[in-house]
Amino acid sequence: MLQCIFLLSDSGEVMLEKQLTGHRVDRSICAWFWEQSISQGDSFKLQPVIASPTHYLFQVVREGITFLACTQVEMPPLMAIEFLCRVADVLSDYLGALNEDVIKDNFIIVYELLDEMIDNGFPLTTEPNILRDIIAPPNIVSKVLSVVTGNSSNVSETLPGATSFVPWRTTDAKYSNNEVYIDLVEEMDATINRDGVLVKCEIYGEVQVNSHLSGLPDLTLSFTNPSILDDVRFHPCVRFRPWESHQILSFVPPDGQFKLMSYRVKKLKTTPIYVKPRLTSDAGTCHVHVLVGTRNDAGKTIDSITVQFQLPECILSADLTSNHGTVNILANKTCMWSIGRIPKDKAPSMSGTLVLETGLERLHVFPTFQVAFRIMGVALSGLQIDKLDLKNLPNRPYKGFRALTRAGEFEVRS
Amino acid sequence: MAPPAQSQRSASPSQPSGKGEVSDLKSQLRQLAGSRSPGVDDSKRDLFKKVISYMTIGIDVSSLFGEMVMCSATSDIVLKKMCYLYVGNYAKVNPDLALLTINFLQRDCKDDDPMIRGLALRSLCSLRVANLVEYLVGPLGSGLKDNNSYVRTVAVMGVLKLYHISASTCIDADFPAMLKHLMLNDPDTQVVANCLSALQEIWGSEASTSEEASRERETLLSKPLVYYLLNRIKEFSEWAQCLVLELAAKYVPSDGSEIFDIMNLLEDRLQHANGAVVLATIKVFLQLTLSMADVHQQVYERIKAPLLTLVSSGSPEQSYAVLSHLHLLVMRAPFIFSSDYKHFYCQYNEPSYVKKLKLEMLTAVANESNTYEIGLQAKMLSWENLDSVVVGDLVSVTELCEYAANVDIPIARESIRAVGKIALQQYDVNAIVDRLLQFLEMEKDYVTAEALVLVKDLLRKYPQWSQDCIAVVGNISSKNIQEPKGKAALIWMLGEYSQDMHDAPYILESLIENWDEEDSAEVGDLISYVKGRSYEKFDRYTGLNVLVRLHLLTAVMKCFFKRPPETQKTLGAALAAGLADFHQDVHDRALFYYRLLQYNISVAERVVNPPKQAVSVFADTQSSEIKDRIFDEFNSLSVVYEKPSYMFTDKEHRGPFEFSDELGNLSMGAESTGTVVPAQRVEANDKDLLLGTSEKEDSRGPSTNGSAYSAPAYDTSSVSASSQMLSELVISNSTVPAHASQSSLAIDDLLGLGLPVATATAPAPSPPSLKLNSKAVLDPSTFQQKWRQLPVSLSQEYSISPQGVAALTVPQSLLRHMQGHSIHCIASGGQSPNFKFFFFAQKAEASSAFLVECVLNTSSAKAQIKIKADDQSASEAFSALFQSALSEFSVP
Repeated sequence: MLQCIFLLSDSGEVMLEKQLTGHRVDRSICAWFWEQSISQGDSFKLQPVIASPTHYLFQVVREGITFLACTQVEMPPLMAIEFLCRVADVLSDYLGALNEDVIKDNFIIVYELLDEMIDNGFPLTTEPNILRDIIAPPNIVSKVLSVVTGNSSNVSETLPGATSFVPWRTTDAKYSNNEVYIDLVEEMDATINRDGVLVKCEIYGEVQVNSHLSGLPDLTLSFTNPSILDDVRFHPCVRFRPWESHQILSFVPPDGQFKLMSYRVKKLKTTPIYVKPRLTSDAGTCHVHVLVGTRNDAGKTIDSITVQFQLPECILSADLTSNHGTVNILANKTCMWSIGRIPKDKAPSMSGTLVLETGLERLHVFPTFQVAFRIMGVALSGLQIDKLDLKNLPNRPYKGFRALTRAGEFEVRS
Repeated sequence: MAPPAQSQRSASPSQPSGKGEVSDLKSQLRQLAGSRSPGVDDSKRDLFKKVISYMTIGIDVSSLFGEMVMCSATSDIVLKKMCYLYVGNYAKVNPDLALLTINFLQRDCKDDDPMIRGLALRSLCSLRVANLVEYLVGPLGSGLKDNNSYVRTVAVMGVLKLYHISASTCIDADFPAMLKHLMLNDPDTQVVANCLSALQEIWGSEASTSEEASRERETLLSKPLVYYLLNRIKEFSEWAQCLVLELAAKYVPSDGSEIFDIMNLLEDRLQHANGAVVLATIKVFLQLTLSMADVHQQVYERIKAPLLTLVSSGSPEQSYAVLSHLHLLVMRAPFIFSSDYKHFYCQYNEPSYVKKLKLEMLTAVANESNTYEIGLQAKMLSWENLDSVVVGDLVSVTELCEYAANVDIPIARESIRAVGKIALQQYDVNAIVDRLLQFLEMEKDYVTAEALVLVKDLLRKYPQWSQDCIAVVGNISSKNIQEPKGKAALIWMLGEYSQDMHDAPYILESLIENWDEEDSAEVGDLISYVKGRSYEKFDRYTGLNVLVRLHLLTAVMKCFFKRPPETQKTLGAALAAGLADFHQDVHDRALFYYRLLQYNISVAERVVNPPKQAVSVFADTQSSEIKDRIFDEFNSLSVVYEKPSYMFTDKEHRGPFEFSDELGNLSMGAESTGTVVPAQRVEANDKDLLLGTSEKEDSRGPSTNGSAYSAPAYDTSSVSASSQMLSELVISNSTVPAHASQSSLAIDDLLGLGLPVATATAPAPSPPSLKLNSKAVLDPSTFQQKWRQLPVSLSQEYSISPQGVAALTVPQSLLRHMQGHSIHCIASGGQSPNFKFFFFAQKAEASSAFLVECVLNTSSAKAQIKIKADDQSASEAFSALFQSALSEFSVP
């Protein structure tokens, strides 16, 4: 089980230390860790599980903050990593952001949270709803409240442990306007190889729910085409049997924003846009030509299109222009072409030349183009929500549905 | 002693120097301690915050202990929490002052607010001061009976903390029984889960001394309890579910229908949002179906999708942990992922540790698709297709990796190696050789170096490709290769194919002219070695340059026999340079060649240039036994490190978690060592880790049998320093293309790290009929299983010599002694005059094991042994051997 958790700033300073068991972990371990991570060049490269001379370390890096956990005993590595990820999520949820200043300003809250999240090295609860019951987040409302009432405690009055029936839900949520919003958010991961062949295209999707419902509502959500889903994962509130037999999501939702379900859809045949890079080199220069266009009309406009690639080290200078959008070459030799929306009358293209290092005849290294886009109102996997039923509610609630697809790891190799 | 009123609240520079600040805080706290004025809590809070932030930065604020405690009389819960935090941090170093806190903590334990009751109880148990345990019993007792589940949850964990401070107090207060009652009856699942984890630990370590505790521990794995927990599993928190699943993985169902019941019950856990739950469930499934081959295969099919989702949906850190497990699975069940290879394509943005694992997966998947013979033509076609895709992708990966030169070079290297690995495993290497040759033309130093090493290996396996390769290799200038490994590979090829490479003698000649360059680098390395005292570094730096020179010598010899007139002069220069070399190995090899040539040229030719056979299989680096062991430890660190936990975990900590039967915590004073000074502990752990790695190489040794070309097995006892060189010679000559594991075997014994073998005793006069495997391995759980299953085949009583009795004052010495006779101890314990040991041994050739329970009584000088054996017929012989080993035991 975990023996100690450290939070390190991006300069390696110990911002927080939480000893969990009787076996005290000396903080010299952090110095060792930091030395290692510096000697590796980039701390991002250090493996998540490391054996130090005295302990086994798990590290998770979020926004420059390293969450470091130590143990000396055998334990499931994924459990430690998953827990650290949850700690990071809960903290950024509580503090609104995750950075050195915000943690240093609120370190008391962080201590309080860790106290409730893990005891004696074993994780207790990481469910944000329950934690919010025990420790109120330091938001503006509670600050105002504390000024008004003079009660400066950020501990809420509700007692923990009274809600074991549906542990993820607060006992008595009350809203004058009952509303529930369901979002389908999909990310398309695609890899297109040098010959323009789509080698991998997959959708990772999430059903996100924002629920503001009174009492103990019971929801049923169904899809018109659940059979396209390849693998699904559920929030603990989802009842398994109805899904098993009829592919229906039946659940009592937590209060507020949560991820109801995530899924994958494999083996898609096409991408909504195409990017065709062409690189030809001769006599020390390389001509670049990149063409972007929509493949078939998705019915909705594609916006926020960008194409980005890293210029190889051996490039001395680059001169790139486009007929639509803007081309920027950033300091770290990243070339960023922001297209926005594709105009109706022409296909955007970028072209220009790259000057190679003297002595190099042609380019041996070919950049990968990373594509980003966003389509509002469409779930590209084709998943559609059939209906949402609500039970146990006093009055008719408002139901809202949205869909969004964006590019995940969308790569075009040249 | 009133403090001077010089305190200024506002003065607090951001970089506190320490002392002044602390004394400043001290006086401020004092002023507030007695104050009852309104708003005092706010100022206290500011001060406390400051104290704790100092504590966090690492400034010692323990001198404020008294003041902090005085200020803790408050109703403000945040203040209380800060105070608890402070007290918990410093109580251990201030046991006397900690007494001060007991009072207010005990009072808080009776507070009306359950939150405060719980927090106070948690802090009280976290003080961890041994002489205060008496104050814990009362609050814990009432905490366990509290009507609020939060308090009960805290109290259960408190019992475990108490147990670690003072086991006897915990047992005497009858807490374990109360926990058991709670576990079976409490409505709150978190309480139940905490009871479970606490009881597992308490009974686990009690089992060695108490019959009752070991029986209780058995019941933790009994059907009613496991079913009770599994039926409620959905009510548990996700982390508690992991705990229950871990328990379920250890449960042995009585029949097949039970297995299916459990799997049906747990199937939806595979869809849980928490990856840790998913992986724990997978472990249960895999363990349950081990004995049912076809169901086991179905399980692989079932777990495939959840695993792949975990890889692609989580953070890189999570992907890393899951990919390590996938790699293990793909080794065992080659086919599960062969159609999903696209999931292991590297993405541009991924951190390199994920890319590296993905590359390994790609190699593993590509490998399997071809080595496994498939009848259907259609499938064959699709496999071929797959390979070219995989390789094509690998190539693009290497290219991808070149942008950020410093970031991704290791990945580029890895992927070239991966291509090579695939090449070495395929039948049709045509396309791959082309790829490799393209690498050679890429004009990047590290790419060329890696590719050369691979081309060399490839040629050893597929000599028919030599013409194509030589043509390309011949164009590479040796000056462009800086890396010793690449250089050595090039030199090897120059020597090996000197008849086909037109200018080979001249390239070699120019290399020899630069002999000293190779040398000068080394002196620096040697100095750094002496400074760093790191053997590994020594090996890496100097070893490689030496490697180049050794290869150079051999290559010139080979070249000489193929093209004598052109090479003669070069050979002379090489031998002269070699003889004058600073390095012993190089010198010796030069001398050896010199004498060999002097003795008889044709014999020398037979030694240096014998006809070669192609290598058919490069041996696997990990034995299947090790792989099985790692598989048994699925969902643990073992998988990430790719070695079983006994090789790396801290023995002191392994006890309570790993042992799960009567053997329990018998292992040498797991608790008593807890009092050792931390520094020593660190050192001990250090050694443990070291030991771990040496053991790993150790166990690799036996796996060399797989290769048809491996040299005759060395008698490990007679291996001397020269054998390492010898094996290196063997490799570079490639008369016997053996692999490095022999040398690792040798190194291993050289260092004598693995086993402190027979320190003083003469070799045992063992009966010739039975030879024991000196490197036997058996993990505790297998031991227990066997111990339960096997009947006692022999039960005897020996008497021990007086010297033996005298030596038993240090029981460890017996373990070492027996180890010298290839009898290993798995657990031991007891107090004078009674000692109890469990030993095991394995036959040298067969895997059949002997298990021994040995009870020694020093006052009567008798030893009672019970032997259980896989092979009953051999137990007589083993008994004799055991007895003779025991009779030799005396003070070293």
